[in-house]
Amino acid sequence: MPFPKVTLERPRWTPFNIVAAIIVVVGLAITGIRFTQGLAATTRLSDYNPWGLWIGFDLLVGVALAAGGYVTSAACYLFGLKRFHTAVRPAILTGFLGYALVVLALHYDVGRPWRLPYPFLVQQGTTSLLFEVAACVALYLTVLFIEWTPAALEWLGLKRARNLVVRLTLVLTIFGVVLSTLHQSSLGALFLIAPSKLHPLWYSPYLALFFFVSSIVAGLSMVIFEGALAHRYFHHKMDEAHRREADGVALGFAKAASWVLAGYFVLKVVGVAQADAWRHLASGYGAWFLVEVIGFVLLPCFFFAVGAREKNLKIVRFTAAWAVLGIVINRFNVGLIAFNYHLPAEERYFPHWMEIGISLFIVTIGILAYKFIVSHMPILYAHPDYEPH
Amino acid sequence: MTTFKNERALRSILLLAASTLVLSAFVLGVQGSAPPAALDPEPGRPRADVIRIDGLQRFGPLERSAVTYLHEKHTRALAARNLDCLACHLPGEKALSTKFKRLEDTSREQTMAVYHTHCTACHRETAARGERSGPVSCAGCHQERPVASSWRDIGMDKSLHFRHVKAQENRCETCHHQRDPATEKLVYVKGQENNCRSCHREVPVEKVRSLRQAAHEQCIDCHRKRIARKEEGGPIHCSGCHDPALQAKIEKLKEVPRLLRGQPDQTLVKAARRNAPPIDPAERVNLVAFNHLGHETYVDTCRACHHETMASCAACHPLEGAKEGRFVTLQTAMHRGTAEPSCIGCHNAAKRKPACAGCHEAIPVKDPPDVAGCASCHVPKPEGLESGADRQAVARRLLEARKTAAASYADEEIPENVEIKALSRTYEGVKLPHRRIVKALAQGAAESRLAAAFHRDPGTLCQGCHHNSPAAKKPPACASCHGQPFDPRHPGRPGLQAAYHLQCMECHRSMGIAKPAATDCTGCHKEKR
Amino acid sequence: MSISRRRFLGWMGAAGAGFAAAGRAHAGAPPRGAGNPDALGVLFDVTRCIGCRKCEEACNRVNELPPPERPFHDLAVLEKRRRTDARTYTVVNRYTGIEGARGPVYRKVQCNHCLEPACASACFVRAFTKNADGSVTYDESVCVGCRYCMIACPFEIPTYEYDKAFTPRVMKCTFCHPRLVQGLLPGCVEACPAEALTFGRRRDLLRVARARMAQSPGRYIDHIYGEFEMGGTAWLTISGVPFRAIGMREDLGTTPAPELTKGALGVVPVVAAMWPVLLTGIYAINRRRDRIAREEREAAVAAALARAEDEAKKKLAEALAKADKDKKAAIEREVKKALEEAARARAEASAPAAPEGGGETKPA
Repeated sequence: MPFPKVTLERPRWTPFNIVAAIIVVVGLAITGIRFTQGLAATTRLSDYNPWGLWIGFDLLVGVALAAGGYVTSAACYLFGLKRFHTAVRPAILTGFLGYALVVLALHYDVGRPWRLPYPFLVQQGTTSLLFEVAACVALYLTVLFIEWTPAALEWLGLKRARNLVVRLTLVLTIFGVVLSTLHQSSLGALFLIAPSKLHPLWYSPYLALFFFVSSIVAGLSMVIFEGALAHRYFHHKMDEAHRREADGVALGFAKAASWVLAGYFVLKVVGVAQADAWRHLASGYGAWFLVEVIGFVLLPCFFFAVGAREKNLKIVRFTAAWAVLGIVINRFNVGLIAFNYHLPAEERYFPHWMEIGISLFIVTIGILAYKFIVSHMPILYAHPDYEPH
Repeated sequence: MTTFKNERALRSILLLAASTLVLSAFVLGVQGSAPPAALDPEPGRPRADVIRIDGLQRFGPLERSAVTYLHEKHTRALAARNLDCLACHLPGEKALSTKFKRLEDTSREQTMAVYHTHCTACHRETAARGERSGPVSCAGCHQERPVASSWRDIGMDKSLHFRHVKAQENRCETCHHQRDPATEKLVYVKGQENNCRSCHREVPVEKVRSLRQAAHEQCIDCHRKRIARKEEGGPIHCSGCHDPALQAKIEKLKEVPRLLRGQPDQTLVKAARRNAPPIDPAERVNLVAFNHLGHETYVDTCRACHHETMASCAACHPLEGAKEGRFVTLQTAMHRGTAEPSCIGCHNAAKRKPACAGCHEAIPVKDPPDVAGCASCHVPKPEGLESGADRQAVARRLLEARKTAAASYADEEIPENVEIKALSRTYEGVKLPHRRIVKALAQGAAESRLAAAFHRDPGTLCQGCHHNSPAAKKPPACASCHGQPFDPRHPGRPGLQAAYHLQCMECHRSMGIAKPAATDCTGCHKEKR
Repeated sequence: MSISRRRFLGWMGAAGAGFAAAGRAHAGAPPRGAGNPDALGVLFDVTRCIGCRKCEEACNRVNELPPPERPFHDLAVLEKRRRTDARTYTVVNRYTGIEGARGPVYRKVQCNHCLEPACASACFVRAFTKNADGSVTYDESVCVGCRYCMIACPFEIPTYEYDKAFTPRVMKCTFCHPRLVQGLLPGCVEACPAEALTFGRRRDLLRVARARMAQSPGRYIDHIYGEFEMGGTAWLTISGVPFRAIGMREDLGTTPAPELTKGALGVVPVVAAMWPVLLTGIYAINRRRDRIAREEREAAVAAALARAEDEAKKKLAEALAKADKDKKAAIEREVKKALEEAARARAEASAPAAPEGGGETKPA
């Protein structure tokens, strides 16, 4: 990821800023086209392929990678792992930004984005798993926002409001875990309704479970990965406690991720057995499935274990990036690659460059927002005036 | 693992590799898996020589998938090296064994070893000579290959049989034989020739080889020997007999002398219970007079009716059914509309010929048949016949009394043109050349003895279109039934427009009348101004 | 077709009494499973279809869809395989070279109007309704445009107006529901010149289909497509060639779409109810563990302090006692010293004189 060291006191034309500026400008231009000329002008979506990159990447991957928030806050506040305390705020922040961007991306993807509140306000389609996803994402975004506000309120100096919100921490955390469990899993369950379109190696009645368990991996790996990046580029913003605890967080999460990945691997094997899809392993899709399950589940599992055991941060951080890539591949497979596998080649989907442009645009906005917030608010350090909660 | 010297470079390489993987997966997904390698010079063309090597099944379930073997690919390769059948097939007592490099399947291990040793040895040898060769790895042979097969059964029809009779100069014993129970030897008895399948079944029964094995050994051996003697011989390769295109090229003789095996010219169809006193003729349905001689000319093989053995129907199908006839009663054996060896089944099949199908395609097949038709075949014994007359004499009298030409109305009784205009909307009505159509249909019927026998009433033919009403010179109008589309009481009954269209179009299609096309509205209708 | 229309209206009147009642009975809740016994359907008989595209033309007309690129009488479009799109609710495709078929075979594609529609079950604003008459209709006034219905539909029927920026709609055959309500036939059915489309109650159509199969042995494949596929569909198809040869999937199974997601939806209340309890429990356990640990630590500290204090006290007491003793001893010693000195002085004074008494005096 192009993310050179940049000091925020001096926002000059660094390479990062130039690239970011280009992406933002192009993104805004595509946004203009999208909202004046429709989806046909900006996407390669078709009647066979109603969901493309904006769902496959922005929604499926976005939500999975934003799982760090609930994973970390649950570990710290519910499971009593207080030594991870300094990791909570950055994780909540990335989670909040992640979900906010998912919702932003959905505005591009749905046909009439101004109607996004309809499922709650106008007519509730409660038989739809998408309703569950929408409801949980909306609520969880709110929860993440509230969880994030103490940082903003500290920055703004609103002491009483801040203390009030901090008192809600426990309730918010539990609520957040419940909502995350529900919508992380139902993102996978969305595809349960289309057994005839998703390749049998990926289709499984356990899809919901796969998505939930792998979201934990994604959350843990993203916290390690972001921690490594923050450590590198925002070292000066970190206080002593953060610097001291960061390595422990990475190693602890690596160990957890290794265990969860091991469980996830077993689940995937059980999934193949349940569907009796063994014979498909000998096909092209089978080879690709093996790449995903061995190359991006089993191997990261092993290397996380090695890294945690050897207390080797390099391995841990590298494996975290690897595992994150594995989650991306998995979501792409379910949403795009193994979906519609039955269609002839000329009917298959490949994203339009503008779709890729918007996805990049949204990621860039996320990075810029993160940069701004980290630079200004007490995320990587504890505010001197306040007790840590 | 602990020290990556050039960590950043490694990281970027891995990232690149991963993204290449994602991309290639896309491409993979988009293009699907590559088709299996071409197996023959004309890939995709169905072949008649596809053999599944799965003989080990008789020793238990297969461990690996059966081998898809293309026989002619091998014979061609061997011929190029001046090798013939003997390269793979061992000479047995009388003929070459159809099995590969062995005479008998002794045991699982031995059979398996025969294939593994000889196949791979030859493949290796060929490859060593630098020629294109076959696989030597397990999975190379043991895999399911979707090779399209054009294989089609072949039988000995009258023409083919007569050509063999001529070639063998009436030496029936060359092929026909039976087992003498006393000596356990194969003997030939004149007048008792049977069809091959009566003993040689699909799978071997005790010592009797399967039809497949018997036919391949006997036919190919004889063909080979004749070819070796530079005489005219039949095919020795799979496709020669089993490829539909080559099958069509087998010479058909127009005139084939009658095969004599002591059969009657005409007879009354036997109907009796086994081991039971004969039925009182007064309580019995009239016996059917059967024109055996006539039917011999209608069918291609004796097997068309004598589907298992050359015995009479009642031999296996007594009135109450018997084990040899799978408990199919005589009544069913004669009347089952969907079984080709039965009388009605064969007549139904005949009605699918274009000349008949125009009407009969749309006429519902009733199974069991309509009782109104019983009397067509079950005719009372003629009066004034001396009481001792034998079955054949009775049958002859009955058949002589039967009409040989279909009844029809005189031309002037048939309306010349009929105008159909009840529905005219976008298009004008149709002026139907009614008499021309009737005459054309009548001519088709006149050429058929079957039609002559069954189109008894001059109105019968009319019922092809004017269906579901009694045969009459003035049938009711179509609209009297078809006026109402989507009548919930008769949801299967088309509305008037569809009734017309279905009648015309289905008839044209069944009779192979290409023009006007069903979608060519102006072929029949004038466009309305 | 004025005659048929009037007759049809009459039919709806005659047969529709129970139909209307059933409609009321099901008001609010879409009929599920076998559903409304009087629900309507269409039987498509592939063997009768001549590929004239009159159904496409009628569909376009009655639904007021945009005019096609090439006119409907142009049968050359059949050269290419087509699908439903945002401008077309139904298409007819031609299949040639099918084994066992006499000439080309045509198949009409349109919404099958599932008994338990996947699209309706998937929609998160309930934009789809399974009506009592059997039709599945779409309400654009609530549609957000997520296109999950298109993902869900096993027959790949719903399409989307991707080219509209402000009012894109999902487009799909409506079974001409508005016409059915008026007592009219669906456009395609009315237009079919060969009644390859037979309209009626679904349960009657099943009987008709079986009757046709029985009457013409060998003409049909022994299967009514849509009788059980995906839980059954209002539109049924019978064919003389295998269904997969005319682009109809035979691997869809008989499970209705809502069944597929039932399990996942059923988990929601379980998670919503169990998770807070469990998590609070885990939190409480961890807090208690922390508190006990803290208390134990404090107790230990207190004990250590107390012990230290005791020792200090003891030392002090000892020190005091010692000091006291030392003082006494010092006094005694001083007294003794004084007496001794006094005695010595006396002795020195009376040295010439004899010592007095035992020489002892009480200290003064």
